[in-house]
Amino acid sequence: MTPPLQIWTYRGLFLLIAATAVTIKLLPIDIEGSALPGPDLIMALTFAWLMRHPALVPLALIAAVVLLADFLLQRPPGLWTALVVLVTEAIRRRRLTMVEVPFLTEWAAFAAIMLGLLLLNRIALWLLVVDLAPLGPVLLHGFVTVLIYPAVAALSHYVLRVPKLAPGEMELD
Amino acid sequence: MARDNTTQAHTRPVRRLLLTVLILCLIALVFVWRIDNPRVERLRAAIVDRVVPNLEWVMAPLTGLARMADDFQSYARLYEQNQELRRELQQMRAWREAALQLEQENARLLSLNQVQLNTELTFVTGIVQSDAGSPFRRSVVLNVGGRDGILDGWATMDGLGVVGRISGVGERTSRVLLLTDANSRIPVTIQPSGQQALLSGDNSSAPVLDFIEDPDTISAGDRIVTSGDGGVFPPDLLVGSVVEMPDGRHRARLAADLSRLQFLRVMRSHPGTALDGNSDIIGPPWPPPEGFVMSPDAVPVQRPTRPAVAEAGPGEGEP
Repeated sequence: MTPPLQIWTYRGLFLLIAATAVTIKLLPIDIEGSALPGPDLIMALTFAWLMRHPALVPLALIAAVVLLADFLLQRPPGLWTALVVLVTEAIRRRRLTMVEVPFLTEWAAFAAIMLGLLLLNRIALWLLVVDLAPLGPVLLHGFVTVLIYPAVAALSHYVLRVPKLAPGEMELD
Repeated sequence: MARDNTTQAHTRPVRRLLLTVLILCLIALVFVWRIDNPRVERLRAAIVDRVVPNLEWVMAPLTGLARMADDFQSYARLYEQNQELRRELQQMRAWREAALQLEQENARLLSLNQVQLNTELTFVTGIVQSDAGSPFRRSVVLNVGGRDGILDGWATMDGLGVVGRISGVGERTSRVLLLTDANSRIPVTIQPSGQQALLSGDNSSAPVLDFIEDPDTISAGDRIVTSGDGGVFPPDLLVGSVVEMPDGRHRARLAADLSRLQFLRVMRSHPGTALDGNSDIIGPPWPPPEGFVMSPDAVPVQRPTRPAVAEAGPGEGEP
């Protein structure tokens, strides 16, 4: 069992990193938009921690952080949050039966999830008759997010020392 | 772990119910946003208003550092830049002479005719605090808002040209939808031919000129100014110049330097646009509020029969 104090420390850390990520995106540096859309750091961090220790990123925390990001980053409020909450809950339940996962599999799973989420998001927007952003940059944004995932995972493991649950251990928050 | 299993057996249905309610709430929020966009966008403006000014202490130094790094990179081309600036300075001296002469002539003519200049265009200056935060949006947040009298729909300029329009006002902040945003549509006039066109952004740095009646009469380098059609924007603000694309379309090279926005002027142009319902088209309210002096040539049309040359609301279309 991880001590509660440690769990709460990591939750605070998650909040801090997410806030930093949003702040950096809001900096008025790249107003014209560069060719490479920035990665979705919150998504990578959430998934990396969820795979290691689900209790560190409880449902309420994910929902609050992503919804606030939705509002601040000019996204349709609620849609991306709903998708992220759905997928994280699905992973949380799967994780209970999961055996030790090699990193490449984890990475591939993240890539698949990211692609699936972006497509679902696009389909939902299309159904709501919202003007769609061009597909190329959207996919590039997903690709960049997938690319930085190993860095986020390494940072979580080596620098932040996020505790990892053994396959049999289960911990729901 | 036996104890854990029994507690989970109890908490699991509750948890599932909680999850369902949360998801339904979120989906309801998306639908409300889609159906009653102005209300949710006001909520968004209020949230931005709450958060962004509080982040200033960390954002200001970071932005400063990033700009310094940008400037530092340009040191590499110091010599070329110096040459370029010298050439430009030479040209500017000639222009300055011409401008001074014209100014004197203009002052003489004005005093001859006893013309009263239009005092309608005063402005409020704001500092750019943050940008849209999304690669698919072009907008910036200014540190002036409702308490400074900013109203939706006002034109915003940097020192030289139009940058965009106010779209979303909070108490302490307001959002400027840039001309390059995919939702931006501005009626413009192309000088000297006098052709009317619609400047529509497409997230690229050069917005497209749409609906030009006779494209043959305009050529690259022509000046683009706002036309004032529809009463949304004041007329004759400089927008930029025409560039011709290889595919024959015309685009605008903006006079404002959108990559480096720092201080922006919000032009107090009209009593403001009220966006009450979803189907309403943006325009000055009619009749104008008491005490507001309208310029005689800018008479807004009655609300329901307004022409459809206006802008869509913010916050639509996202990956």
